[in-house]
Amino acid sequence: MPECDAVREAMPALLLESLESDLRERSHLHIEGCEECALQWENWRLTWTAMDSLHDVPVPTRLRVRFLDHVASLTPAGTVVPMARPRPVVRRWLAQAAAMVILVGGSFYAGHRTIPAPVSGPKNYVTPATVNNVSTTPFSIAESQVVSASQISPDIEGRPQIRNVRFLEPDGTSEKVAIAFDMTSHVTVTGRPDEKGLVRVLSYVLQNQDHSSLSKSNAMAFVKETYSGETSPNPDLVRALANVLKNDTHEGARIKAVEALRSIPPGSASAARSALVEALKNDPNPAVRIKAIDALANLAKSGESFDSATVDLLRQKAGQNDENLYVRVKAAEALGQINL
Amino acid sequence: MKGLSDQELMKLVQSGDFSPAAEVFDRYSARIYNFAYRFLRNAEAAEDATQEVFVKMLKYATQFHGDAKLSTWLFSIAANHCRDYLRKAENRNRESDETLIHLPTSSELAPDRDLERKEDELRVQKALTVLTPEQREAILLSRYQGLSYAEIAQIAGCSEGAVKTRVFRAMETLKKALTEPASGGNECLNVMP
Repeated sequence: MPECDAVREAMPALLLESLESDLRERSHLHIEGCEECALQWENWRLTWTAMDSLHDVPVPTRLRVRFLDHVASLTPAGTVVPMARPRPVVRRWLAQAAAMVILVGGSFYAGHRTIPAPVSGPKNYVTPATVNNVSTTPFSIAESQVVSASQISPDIEGRPQIRNVRFLEPDGTSEKVAIAFDMTSHVTVTGRPDEKGLVRVLSYVLQNQDHSSLSKSNAMAFVKETYSGETSPNPDLVRALANVLKNDTHEGARIKAVEALRSIPPGSASAARSALVEALKNDPNPAVRIKAIDALANLAKSGESFDSATVDLLRQKAGQNDENLYVRVKAAEALGQINL
Repeated sequence: MKGLSDQELMKLVQSGDFSPAAEVFDRYSARIYNFAYRFLRNAEAAEDATQEVFVKMLKYATQFHGDAKLSTWLFSIAANHCRDYLRKAENRNRESDETLIHLPTSSELAPDRDLERKEDELRVQKALTVLTPEQREAILLSRYQGLSYAEIAQIAGCSEGAVKTRVFRAMETLKKALTEPASGGNECLNVMP
């Protein structure tokens, strides 16, 4: 039987056609003459055929756009490669040294510029943080600062680039939560979840179109965790989630927006409902439409009464021949849960 | 650009000319994305992995040697990224929470045969999740990307013998999961090699 063992061991390679020709021939001869190995070989072949059913998934077109955006950022538009009279080494060295002086000097200045306490008005706290579990991240150039949500300006001016957003839950001794991020310095905004300033920063993070980080995804998880117990969720937050659901190009983000909307209690149900209805009508991705139906059904279960247009839309989806089968089934199930 | 070989495109990139980036992306993004998608079982993570691979291709272009195949080099970057992703505990949780089931569009779904095909595909997808990451990597690269054991060994940083063992074990597990009757098959899905 050692030959049987050797042949069976070689069967995957035989399938992959990666066996040397003489060994391949010998294995096939053995299989033809050995009933046990022939049975094994048949099973291998069945497995092999079954594996064919796994088809390639298409690459999302936005991925190409995202990559080409990156390439464009590496090669500024209009840049012309000079016909090159190489700059003398000394001049290049001087230029590099000057750049270094400006960078270090600028950083030092920027770092110290944020320290002085304001004369009046909003008060900045230099770390350590006031929320018990906030730990500062080393930020080498500018100072870290902790700002109370009540001090956030009503309008976030311009479109500041904020990165590395992290969310800190209350630790049980305080009701405050915190949102930490890097801007020109490391900033931590603390406050109660219902404070306007905090909601404003959160809404800003939610509507940021940057998909290269997990900030937005984490923001939606934070909304689910933090606001599911609220009796009347902030309408700004619902609006921000509705905007993500309507405008975000990434279906993963839109699915998370539906989940976050679903977790928000029915205090702002009508705004949430319109966003979900809109997604069910117009979202190109069936997974998002299924989630939207789920969330609508959930609203119905919590006692929310639906207008006739919503019910009609669900009916239409359940019976629409060119709609995705799973969406149709979900719509039919949801209709069963609504008090008509 | 279309007429240029991989090596010629990479030479341009190495000289600081990024104009072939789109062409390289078009040649390999589908393979890289599908590999990452099956390996990580998460569409969003697969997108990030694919982006990362091509960004690194530009960043570290000088490390690419013309004697190697570009596909092997790109798969090495992809596999490293995917392994790192799976290693992180936070992402492991996400993997289990957000296991992706690819939903077909309505045009893909027609009669019973398509539904059967869909079921088969789900069975294979499910069976692949039972494999260890090393086995999954090896089977995805050999069975679905057509790479040789030698190339996979280079990507995985192990010997060809180790690749053979991984593929064999993976196939055994898949055989159990896919060829035994449905009820028994489900039980078999829990058997780790």
